Amino acid sequence: MAKSQVVLLLVVACVLPSACGGGGGGADGSTVAPGPSGPVNVDLEATPPERLSAYNLFTWDPATGFAWNDRVVPYDVNTALFSDYALKQRAIYIPAGATASFDPEQPFDLPVGAALVKTFYYPADFRAPSEHLTLIETRLLVRHTDGWHPLPYIWDADQHDAVLSPAGEVRAISFLDATGAAQTANYLVPQRNECQNCHAEQDAPDAPIDLVLIGVKARHLNRSYDYGGKVGVRNQIDRLTELGMLTGAPAAATIPAAYDFRPIEAGGVGALSSPEIEAAARSYLDINCAHCHNPHGVQGMTSQLFLNHDSTDAFHLGVCKRPGSAGAGNGGLTFDIVPGDPDSSILYFRTDTTEVGAMMPLLGRSLTHGRGAELLHAWIAAMPALACSAPPAN
Amino acid sequence: MPVGRLTIFVLGAGFITGCGDNVAPSNFPTTDCTAVTTTHCVEVHGGDTAGLLTVANSIDAGTTIVLGLGTFAMTDQLTLRTTGAHLIGQGIDQTTLDFGATTTQGNGVDAIGDDFLIQDLTVRDASKDGIRVEASKGVVFRAIRATWTMPSSSSNGAYGIYPVKSQNVLVESSRAENASDAGLYVGQCQHVIVRNNTVTGNVAGLEIENTEYADVYGNTAEDNTGGIVVFDLPGNPIVGRDVRLRDNFIRNNNHVNFASGGTVAGIPSGTGTFAMASRRVEITGNTYEGNNTGDIALISGLALEPDVTKWTLPTAMLSGTYADLGLLPGAAPGTIMNFRAENIVVANNKHAGSGTMPDAFDPLHIGALLLLAYNGQPVDNILYDAIGEPGFDSTDAAKNTNVNHMCIGGNTGGTFASMALALQSATSLVPFFRPAAPFAPFDCTALAGGPVADVVLP
Repeated sequence: MAKSQVVLLLVVACVLPSACGGGGGGADGSTVAPGPSGPVNVDLEATPPERLSAYNLFTWDPATGFAWNDRVVPYDVNTALFSDYALKQRAIYIPAGATASFDPEQPFDLPVGAALVKTFYYPADFRAPSEHLTLIETRLLVRHTDGWHPLPYIWDADQHDAVLSPAGEVRAISFLDATGAAQTANYLVPQRNECQNCHAEQDAPDAPIDLVLIGVKARHLNRSYDYGGKVGVRNQIDRLTELGMLTGAPAAATIPAAYDFRPIEAGGVGALSSPEIEAAARSYLDINCAHCHNPHGVQGMTSQLFLNHDSTDAFHLGVCKRPGSAGAGNGGLTFDIVPGDPDSSILYFRTDTTEVGAMMPLLGRSLTHGRGAELLHAWIAAMPALACSAPPAN
Repeated sequence: MPVGRLTIFVLGAGFITGCGDNVAPSNFPTTDCTAVTTTHCVEVHGGDTAGLLTVANSIDAGTTIVLGLGTFAMTDQLTLRTTGAHLIGQGIDQTTLDFGATTTQGNGVDAIGDDFLIQDLTVRDASKDGIRVEASKGVVFRAIRATWTMPSSSSNGAYGIYPVKSQNVLVESSRAENASDAGLYVGQCQHVIVRNNTVTGNVAGLEIENTEYADVYGNTAEDNTGGIVVFDLPGNPIVGRDVRLRDNFIRNNNHVNFASGGTVAGIPSGTGTFAMASRRVEITGNTYEGNNTGDIALISGLALEPDVTKWTLPTAMLSGTYADLGLLPGAAPGTIMNFRAENIVVANNKHAGSGTMPDAFDPLHIGALLLLAYNGQPVDNILYDAIGEPGFDSTDAAKNTNVNHMCIGGNTGGTFASMALALQSATSLVPFFRPAAPFAPFDCTALAGGPVADVVLP
């Protein structure tokens, strides 16, 4: 049987900005960007464009920030996945004439042609989080008829546009944190295939693996957002409904909401009551861990550690549970959670450590999330103490 | 004939050539795109790490990536998520994926996708697992080497060759070395052949975990802490069964246990084989030599995890075939427990020179118990913990029961003892039951329910 040959189109990235289109006329940041003109261009038939600007979803300008095209709506989540302190600007695009469908628990069902847009960026100094920003990458998820397609774009050094980068990148990024201390992250721009490490679910061992959304769920979106201008501060679910982009949502007040992590990031857990710590910790575990650690998580089901917000079984939450195959990742500890004893709990160890091979989550973290680890420490410490059984003496 | 078309964007300079290009053919002396069976093929020159990552993240279903001679200095794991992805190098140590400088977490090669093949290359110094293939149907590892440079380092990755939750798996003619957990680890798989591999310098050489229908033969396990082991862990949704260990060489597995923790940290140095929480296992025709603690141990899962509730699984959660196994019911309706070791044949193995120096320091104190029990004499080659046996007596064979259907016999130089592990304590030793052949009541010769059938891969 003859084998077909492969034709490779080598598109070598421009090394010199002046050699690339789009830069052109001496723009050095002094010109105010006008925002997108013309419609969004999500072409499901075409080969994905090499440049992010081709979608015309938004513009970014160091002086004026993000500007969104029609039917591209920015949003935020109550508790976010920690990604080495990167700030994230999210937006959802729903094509004209289509709507997303509300679900109280599962990700919203978005129409074909929809896109999710997530831009990761750092300020030079987190004490001034809106100044001296560097955009690192923009991840797109585009809804095709056969499901979600992930597309990673990395921003050029000149910050004018981002380039499709299936290979991803590992980049050392230095910044001053909220206390003014210097930090350097080994920031991971995931490979395209690594999108599936988090955005994958499998209903049964024999079932196909689906690419799924994580943040676009009622409990994460149910919060207010400052849209600016005449719209001002509105509930995000209400706003999407009002724009005709979401159908089926009940009144926001009746929808569960994940815990708002912002006060913890700002001030720690000291002022929280026990129920607040419980709620905050479960929301934190849900968004940071449960994309794998749920019964349908392709790479997490092996562990039998299920940290989704509605996981209630103590064993599967890790209480006195031995890890299945933690390998070197257990820090010499025996149980996932020893109630009342966070420092003997693998769950705390793995979320606190920066040891390569032991860190959790697996991807996207090279630094410790101080407030997150503090919360999990407080959560385990607040559990009624329980001596997990040790191996028999002989 | 349709022409497969692959569009690849390359950042920066690269050396990727299409098949048939006559660029530096000497970089592909063993295999190039003319020699492969998939619909598409891409050649990546040795050392072109950026090109390899771009290709791996851009291929269509049914693509072979042929890697040239040389070493790829990897900065992140090689991630494959495509059906029919084949990765073929120019030979072990001729093509090397070197992860030593990786700062991110990750495995070496991390693949999910049916019809996966990896062949003729070396994966070195991965942060986590060397080659992890998960949730895939049709997986072949052939003539590859997964290794870590530093021997006996607890910071080495966990597993070298690691198919998990996969079906129809073949691992052959490969090497796994210096893993801080298991060199070759088959976890929660169905229909597996593992043959003619060599595992050395690992904590556990070769592990078959929660796996059904596995044929493990012709392998050599040498200089590991433990050689070739079969077990179930609590909570996993496949009940291990029908595992055949035959015609393997399991010798001198006396490596210090350098695991940083986990189940394998409990393996005494000098262990040949154990079957724990396992059923329908045949251990036949193997050669055991010089394993200082002992050659073969048959152990209940309760020796590791005494809490039976943790061994309880809802049947609705189980994959695979289990209804015919007569598993113990759990306390709640619709649940089973899989801690028992039962229905195991140990026959026609050869034993020489083992059990002479049990590990005095293993955390489960198995070695210490053996030192006490044997007091300088060689440990019997085949040990049974007798957990779950209603009858035990140190001397009277008629008072020993064999409800777990352990069949021991016909082993050259292979002595046997029942340990009464549940009765042992740190302060007093209950003498072992050490019968002469034919070891009644452990003299049955066949598995209940018939022998383990051949594994036939499609």
